[in-house]
Amino acid sequence: MKKIYIATFVFSTFFFAGCADDYLDVDQTESISTKDTELYNNDAGAAQFVTAIYNKFLNWDMTSFGWIGLSSITSDDADKGSSPGDTGTDKDVLDALTYNASNPSAESTFIANYDGINRCNQALNIIPKLDKADPNLRARLIGEAKFLRAFMYFTLVKCYGGVPIVDHLPVPGSDSDRIMQLTRKTSAEVYAFIESDLNEAIAALPDKSAYSVNERSRASKGAAYALLAKVSLYQENWQKVIDNCNKVTGYSIVSDYASMFKATGKFDSESIFEIYAYGADPVKGIEGYSNTQGARGTGGWGWGFNTPSQSLVNAYEAGDVRKAATIIFRGQTLYDGRLVPNTVENERYNYKAYSSAYTNAWETDVDIKYLRYAEVLLMKAEALNELGQTSEAIPFLNQIRNRAGLGNTTAVSQTDVRIAIWKERRVEMAFEHDRFFDLVRTGQAKAAFEVDGKVFTEGKNELFPIPALFINQAGGLSQQNPGY
Amino acid sequence: MRNFIFSFLALILLPAYMSGQVIKGKVSDQNGMGIPGAFVVAGNVSADTDFDGSFSINAKEGDILKISLVGFESVSVAATLTPMTIIMKESKDTALKEVVVIGYGTRKKIDNTTAISSIKAEEITKTKVLNASQAIQGKAAGVQVISSDLPGSTPSVIIRGLGTALGGRTPLYVVDGMQTENINNINANDITSYEILKDASALAIYGTRAANGVIIITTKKGKGEKISVEIESFAGMREPLKRVKMAGSNKYSHYSNVALQSTTFSQDQPVNTDWFDEITRTGSYTQNNISISGASENIKYFFSLGNYEEKAVLNGLDYGRTTFRNNNEYKISKKLTLNQTFSFTSAKSKPKPLSAFTNAYKQSPIVPVYFPDGKYGVSRVGDDGFASETGSSFNNVGNPVAQLNFFDEQQRSVTLQGGLKLDYEIIKSLKFTSQFNGEYYTWKQYNFDDTKNIWLAANPNKVPSDYENEFPNDNINLLTKGREEYFNWNLSNYLTYNKVFGEIHDVELTAGIETSVRGPREKLTIARKNVNSNSNYWSLTGDNDYEADIKNYKDEVFNETKLASYFGRFQYKLMERYLFTGTIRRDGSSNFGKDYRWGNFPAFGLGWVITKENFMEDVKVINMLKLRGGWGRLGNQNVPLNNQSYTSGPNAYLGGSILNQGTTISSQIDPSLSWEITEESSVGLDFELLDSRLKGAFDLYDKNTSNVILNTKPYLTSGITAASPAHVGEVSNKGYEISLRWDDKINDDFSYWVGGNFSNNKNELTGLKNVILTQQVGGGLGNGQDTKMLDNTTVGQPLGSFYIYEYAGFDTTNGKMMYYNAAGEKVTQDALKAGTDKKYVGSSLPKSNYGVSLGFNYKNFDFSVDGYGTNGAKVYNGKKAQRFSGENIEESLATDFWTPNNLNASNPAPFNQVPVASTYYLESGDFFRINNITLGYKLPIQSNNFISSCRIYVNAINPFITQKFSGFSPELNGDGNPYGTQGVELDAYPTLRSFVIGANLKF
Repeated sequence: MKKIYIATFVFSTFFFAGCADDYLDVDQTESISTKDTELYNNDAGAAQFVTAIYNKFLNWDMTSFGWIGLSSITSDDADKGSSPGDTGTDKDVLDALTYNASNPSAESTFIANYDGINRCNQALNIIPKLDKADPNLRARLIGEAKFLRAFMYFTLVKCYGGVPIVDHLPVPGSDSDRIMQLTRKTSAEVYAFIESDLNEAIAALPDKSAYSVNERSRASKGAAYALLAKVSLYQENWQKVIDNCNKVTGYSIVSDYASMFKATGKFDSESIFEIYAYGADPVKGIEGYSNTQGARGTGGWGWGFNTPSQSLVNAYEAGDVRKAATIIFRGQTLYDGRLVPNTVENERYNYKAYSSAYTNAWETDVDIKYLRYAEVLLMKAEALNELGQTSEAIPFLNQIRNRAGLGNTTAVSQTDVRIAIWKERRVEMAFEHDRFFDLVRTGQAKAAFEVDGKVFTEGKNELFPIPALFINQAGGLSQQNPGY
Repeated sequence: MRNFIFSFLALILLPAYMSGQVIKGKVSDQNGMGIPGAFVVAGNVSADTDFDGSFSINAKEGDILKISLVGFESVSVAATLTPMTIIMKESKDTALKEVVVIGYGTRKKIDNTTAISSIKAEEITKTKVLNASQAIQGKAAGVQVISSDLPGSTPSVIIRGLGTALGGRTPLYVVDGMQTENINNINANDITSYEILKDASALAIYGTRAANGVIIITTKKGKGEKISVEIESFAGMREPLKRVKMAGSNKYSHYSNVALQSTTFSQDQPVNTDWFDEITRTGSYTQNNISISGASENIKYFFSLGNYEEKAVLNGLDYGRTTFRNNNEYKISKKLTLNQTFSFTSAKSKPKPLSAFTNAYKQSPIVPVYFPDGKYGVSRVGDDGFASETGSSFNNVGNPVAQLNFFDEQQRSVTLQGGLKLDYEIIKSLKFTSQFNGEYYTWKQYNFDDTKNIWLAANPNKVPSDYENEFPNDNINLLTKGREEYFNWNLSNYLTYNKVFGEIHDVELTAGIETSVRGPREKLTIARKNVNSNSNYWSLTGDNDYEADIKNYKDEVFNETKLASYFGRFQYKLMERYLFTGTIRRDGSSNFGKDYRWGNFPAFGLGWVITKENFMEDVKVINMLKLRGGWGRLGNQNVPLNNQSYTSGPNAYLGGSILNQGTTISSQIDPSLSWEITEESSVGLDFELLDSRLKGAFDLYDKNTSNVILNTKPYLTSGITAASPAHVGEVSNKGYEISLRWDDKINDDFSYWVGGNFSNNKNELTGLKNVILTQQVGGGLGNGQDTKMLDNTTVGQPLGSFYIYEYAGFDTTNGKMMYYNAAGEKVTQDALKAGTDKKYVGSSLPKSNYGVSLGFNYKNFDFSVDGYGTNGAKVYNGKKAQRFSGENIEESLATDFWTPNNLNASNPAPFNQVPVASTYYLESGDFFRINNITLGYKLPIQSNNFISSCRIYVNAINPFITQKFSGFSPELNGDGNPYGTQGVELDAYPTLRSFVIGANLKF
């Protein structure tokens, strides 16, 4: 009898010593473990990881109130708007260019883009492992993720200058990954990284025309070339601008400028890369984008921020159809018959954020057209002019002017054509989140803000502050931008 | 063997005893049973008794033989040549006889090197409360109990301070070997001992679940030779111990008019509702227990059946619990014993929302419970300044009576708990124990929300068809049903070896393995709309398909956790006075990553029984003096985990009209996350003085949790915004405990005792690694104000600290409340900055607590009083802080507030703004309360009667309290979370005063 017990005891000890580790492998049931990659090992599963990246662009922090503040209210095209007493958290100081290191919009935009970059890195990490998904699909998805990552780094480098390049999923506890996450790179390094991502994307992406109707919002080869051209423009690499613009093929400018900003103008022939919003049920649009910019007060439908400035109104030449397509003037009847009564609080509102069908909804059908063929033409014109080929540049400029109902430019000299192109960019792309960065890029900022009655401090206001929390986390590995 | 060694030694030393003779005899107890192992000394020769109590020793006739044994009183007799018969009496000195449960074994108290508080059965049942842990409040030094009188609630038990911020805080309960986290299913009458393991050297044997302390509960077993039946019954009435005096209608109207600067309310009100009265009743509770126990040669048995019923003070709140227990011990053979325990507990309750207390506090007294037409009163005021059905609304508080009447919920649970324990004596000194325990729990609940009628009650000016018109798509009612179950078990196998070598080396070795499994908890919740108004027809059979009516359906399975363990313990006693204990446990937990799941938990303890030393022999005043100390490492594996998982929330539409589901990973895993480690060093002194009439203990400890888990903020550039738990904090608990008790017997008719204990603990978040924490806010008041916060600035503060603005009095020129900002200036609340102006102003956890106890027995009467108090805690008057425009105020405020004519009032001017969380609402939580007064009388019955014993008693629970807090109760367990509502009086059940009469009969 006792032998049995001793044997049992000894045996169970061995059992424990031998198998205890397997015994302790308990599968989780509360949430889907990242160990179970197999669940996504198919075409639809692989695509989900890239869909999550696109989805980030519909996010409040990524594309809405803070981003509107940073990219638009700061510029001379727009004023804060809304009621005088409603600061919109920090839109008053953004408008006045008096923000400090703890600016909430600058912080949320930084965080949102890195959130998007994490989604890119997650996709780039897992999709290569999903060996049961179609290899061609996987290659395309990787291309999309790289394009989107480049897009977000371009936003970051425009806003903050050199930022940490997180090019893979950091391993917690890894010192090199900690340094990677906390050390700011130079702008040049970030641009080089963006170009490398775009070149890989170009190799993997199809033309826009190859996508089915349901998938037109995906990144295409043309989008990658156009973004590469714009990235080159920011680096004043003129020949590269021209080369890449030339590769953006299959697009044309539409005849009716205003049509592009209506629901019917989604994915028209001019659209190269566009953030798609679906207003119908189940609703999926850019959170608060239309609402924050909608007319405020009695008869209005929104918060009334980001209103077109007098400076912008003055920038339009007589007869320019783009003015009426860009600006809602109070008292006016809109294209869909809606009367904007004189009781609304501000004189002007952003027409490009107006949704006819879902006017006061939180998520509407308003898209953002981040890359249009018109900009490709203007970039090409600018690059040609900078390379001294002014006469070749002028026709592209005129193409844009003519579409807007204006005659050919009167500028002839290289300097005058340069100024004409810059001005044309302003009125063509007003309220498309480009103006502030364009002012900084072209060195017009100080003068332009003087006209607008604001002080642009050179050596400081070119960049927004890096979030104080990040500088704190970096513990000496990274420094704040100058002046903050 | 021992005799052999002795004989051998005696032989060697023979020349010294040549002149001696052999004295023989037998040592037996009062019943004539031989006592083995007793120590017989004659001069410098000694012997011990064999298995039947016989001894022989070399001594001369007339020499004094001194016979001693632990647990018996020493006897000195003159040796005789004829065989001697020596009777030993059991010792009064309980410390020598008492045994403590130490986990996987027992130890004589005198030989124990660790800090263990043992609470006896009669102490647990003396205070008539449901949960045994509530009854031990104030009875063990170093153990803090924060309880609530809400029926079915679970008290918080904090042993030697809180060492974790986010992890589990509950001690591990071991009920007859079953390791569990809750003892609400245990009938206190079935408990024979309640032992609290307090220091690391005692706790380390429970390894990774020991850091919060361990409470070992042993239930009763059969004993005696004949069947004995015991009946215990009591009935009591309960009422709130303290009340808060509210303003009456006219004072309310005056105050509100001033606040609103209008004459909205008439100051001659026809109605004066005391809402607290309207929602409460005199509570009542009864408990009946019957137990049958006995023993025969091979079987000991114990059966018990108990029923507890309470009608709570809050209208409609009922609670009932029925328990059944059967514990048997079978002696299968001389070497094999089987112990079986089984308990069944069924609990049913009709809960009611405790927010009714807050609503009763806030609702205006001018509102009638019912309007004359029978509709529920609402907070609307007519043009005449009286409450009316159609007037304008003046606050957002519902009618508390309606709230309780409409609230329809029932819960039922069944807990089955039991186990088998096999003890096999392999050889004389070696025992093998195998123990299996299991616990099955099932729970069901329904909640019926009478949506439409609730809306109509709140809108007396509307008719039923208005509801359909205004909310055409809404449900008219909602039925939520829930089901939950789990099965947990554990299995342990261990060997115990005990032997004394060479008379003086007493060795005990324990070694074993164990596994503990917390099975997956399964939960189903279904919410259905528009069910039949008659509850009988909620769940029809047949072809009824409720698919179209389902509003919500949840089907959850929570993670299973497993633990695999090895443990060992070595206990050594040299010459009955030098004690050493060493333990080691190795635990592997399925909660953690593969490389971080195994941990070792060592401990040691040392003891020195000073009174056993020769030099102490003449010190008559000291009967027992023992110094003990130890060190150990403990774990807390019940910590927040960051199981990394896919987030498939983000959906997006891509192009056209296809819904594309998105998936990503938005959490960051720290693979090194594992248990929190606490190390503790402690020393203690146990003493008994003056014929063991004065007993006491003094303990000192220093506990440090070096890797406390806190929520860190991942690097912004990681793109992860969810907080990531990591081992970054350090918490220290240092304290001391004193307990003293004086027992004396004046004569056979009168004995008395007086005792007390005091414990002090200093708790502090002492350190933080170089990380940035995600701000953790808590203690929310439901109006946008939070009272507690934990982040990088918390270092140096105790856990559970309130973090609020400092009130600076009111501005006597306008009566506005002022606060100090960071610069020390007095500002109004609009000028305060949350980031810089809040301050840490003390913790909701007390710094010290104390208990006192005294009593006497006179003839057949027994009388006892127990008191309990705490010092150093802060409490937040949450219900008062939540008060908003148009709501009632306390009487003391209504009669003394700032007006231009009363500049020096005690209270600021009336205001309509939501006040910021500030020290204005923070009060001292210090209190001293008489927890229990008992007076009993034992009827003079001969023990050979049919009824062998009958005691009747009256009991007053919480009859008196002295408190500084102006609210109902300074003892506020809330959700039991120091970063939750603990210490905040909001929606809190009041502490009750109870009067009980009962009887205990034995047959």
